[in-house]
Amino acid sequence: MSTTASDARSDAARSNAARSDAVVPGTGFTRAHELFRESVRKFVDQEINPYVDEWEEAEMFPAHEVFRKAGDLGFLGLSYPEEYGGMGADYWYNIALSEELARINGGSIPMAMGVQTDMATPALNAHGSHELKERFLAPAISGEAVCSIAVTEPGAGSDVAAIRTTAVRDGDHYVINGTKLYITNAVQADWICVLARTSPEGGYRGMSLIIVPTDTPGFAVTKKLKKLGNWASDTAELAFDNCRVPVENRIGEEGMGFIYQMEQFQNERLVSSAGCAAGADKILKMTIEYCRGRETFGKPLIENQWIHFRLSELIAETEFLRQMCYHCVRKMEAGQDFTREASMAKLKAGRLAREVADTCMQFHGGMGYMEEYPLARYYRDSRLWSIGAGADEVMLGIIAKFEGIAPGR
Amino acid sequence: MKILVCLKQIPDPEVAPRDFRLDENNLIADPASAGLVTNIFCENALETALQLKEAAGGEITVLTFGPAEAEDVLRKALAVRADHAVHVINPGLLHPGSSGAACVLSAAIRKLGSFDLLMFGREAGDWGEGQTAGLVAEHLGLPFVAFVDSLQTTESGLHIVGQTDSGREELTAAGPVVVSITNSDANVPRIPKTRDIMMAHRRDITTWSLEDIDLTEDLVREAAGSVEVTELFIPEKDTTCEFITGDSADERIDAFARRIVDVIGSI
Ligand SMILES: Cc1cc2nc3c(=O)[nH]c(=O)nc-3n(C[C@H](O)[C@H](O)[C@H](O)COP(=O)(O)OP(=O)(O)OC[C@H]3O[C@@H](n4cnc5c(N)ncnc54)[C@H](O)[C@@H]3O)c2cc1C
Repeated sequence: MSTTASDARSDAARSNAARSDAVVPGTGFTRAHELFRESVRKFVDQEINPYVDEWEEAEMFPAHEVFRKAGDLGFLGLSYPEEYGGMGADYWYNIALSEELARINGGSIPMAMGVQTDMATPALNAHGSHELKERFLAPAISGEAVCSIAVTEPGAGSDVAAIRTTAVRDGDHYVINGTKLYITNAVQADWICVLARTSPEGGYRGMSLIIVPTDTPGFAVTKKLKKLGNWASDTAELAFDNCRVPVENRIGEEGMGFIYQMEQFQNERLVSSAGCAAGADKILKMTIEYCRGRETFGKPLIENQWIHFRLSELIAETEFLRQMCYHCVRKMEAGQDFTREASMAKLKAGRLAREVADTCMQFHGGMGYMEEYPLARYYRDSRLWSIGAGADEVMLGIIAKFEGIAPGR
Repeated sequence: MKILVCLKQIPDPEVAPRDFRLDENNLIADPASAGLVTNIFCENALETALQLKEAAGGEITVLTFGPAEAEDVLRKALAVRADHAVHVINPGLLHPGSSGAACVLSAAIRKLGSFDLLMFGREAGDWGEGQTAGLVAEHLGLPFVAFVDSLQTTESGLHIVGQTDSGREELTAAGPVVVSITNSDANVPRIPKTRDIMMAHRRDITTWSLEDIDLTEDLVREAAGSVEVTELFIPEKDTTCEFITGDSADERIDAFARRIVDVIGSI
């Protein structure tokens, strides 16, 4: 070798800088994101997976304890400003978090954390006053406070514009009355971001997002609901009976609630789709492993063309979904609207999760049906993707509107 | 206290056996077949160092000898708040072994100055030689304690507790000492926090070539020369299941014991 010391040094320095900044092609993932993933993986292995069966059985997980640990590691405020304890990180971190949380044995904890990080807080971060963020966003990021988003009501789910909960102005306060249904984290929540009508205009006008601390008189968890899946995540019915909160608790402008909520939905749909792709990937890998080891009629299951073709097709579709999520992040980072693409990803996520759950269950036979095996839980939990955060048909409606093929109202 | 921790990057020992392959030409693990990780015992050493620093103050420098990819182990160490990181680039030596590595690390340590405590993992999960720490101590003329699982600063010096074949030993070291760290409940590596990870990737790493520490490839090859890798293979694992029969428990125990003697005798 004829390199001199200074050549070697500058070569070394160059490779050093190049290595840190290099991104995985087509994504924004750098070495730092990879190291971050490793931290999330360890968190999952040490703090979640050993306990998750117990929590499922108990139909409750210790949200404050788990969130404080997650908050301490910086997982709950990745893309939020440092001023409120956030990391000021790019959105690839959120995606990496969501993908790694999919390694949890069950959908409950990723969903509960997703509500905290990408469903209940984005509007507060984007439009809330400084004081409101200090009081509610900062403790949600540190994990001291558990939060919920309350949109759905007994008479309004897909049709958000049909909500009836009211927040009537009385001096410096809003007086809130109504019922909210299927609210994640709400049994344990310290505050809830509530979508309510602040004026009687009707339709999507006249709604506001208001933060309601759960110790406010007039607020009550009227029922903890039993569910098909996601048992460890608490889901509640809530009643607001002359619940008075200061006007300062409103996020942003009065009457903008519907718009803010629609914005907020995009993050929710994107991270949950990314998590869905990672979860499908995990289940498919598990199924491949099983089909390699399981023999019928003298050969491993995987050698049947029907089986390896079917799995190959689902692997391909999972990859498409993942890449669609990455495409959304690229649009988000470029400051472009990605509602159309996030809706497509969310639609595909719901459909794919159902297909993966059903196919993998089939290929596992009786083993897959057993509660001791993770597939049974995935089968139950994954069904939610087509319903929560906007049902498949709602996604189709949005896509149809973008394509100009939906009839006008 | 000035602490140095040496870290080694190795192929991930957790890789699925199905995925693991060898590079038959170079007699190394195929780098594409397993991810690269920090050797776990090195992480135990770093965790011990961090706890010492938290208890008694001081400064931690981490040092690695490895290819460009080995930067990752340093970034990770910075992400748990090591203070300085030094990377001696391996220009492509395939088998430096413990002897070659010790030669390089000692030269780098000399250039870095003096330390009160030099920490290594008990062994690396790839070749498992467990020699590097002792060899570095020899190069630097420092005392060496192996298999240490706890360290504390006291008024008379560093209180060291280690594992031995017959039990435990407790020692006190007044001056600089080299230790190799084994795992214990107390030194489970902490999880790097997000902010520290982000900061770690903006920090400077001192990068040296062999020439920067007054070595050459030939000198390292010479140091490594006492060990030559002539063959590398993945052992075939064969599992057979045998049932021991007999009419009574005593008969079965007897037959079982005799069978064990047979099997051991045939190895
Ligand atoms: C476990 C769980 C957790 C939840 N967590 C929360 C939460 O934290 N906060 C919150 O606000 N909500 C939450 N939800 C509510 C969820 O967002 C709603 O269930 C969802 O939006 C669907 O609303 P809905 O149940 O009222 O169904 P509906 O609106 O009554 O719709 C029923 C079905 O009709 C079909 N459909 C609807 N509209 C159309 C259409 N235009 N054309 C054709 N078909 C259509 C869809 O298939 C839909 O699934 C949660 C739900 C569950 C199950």
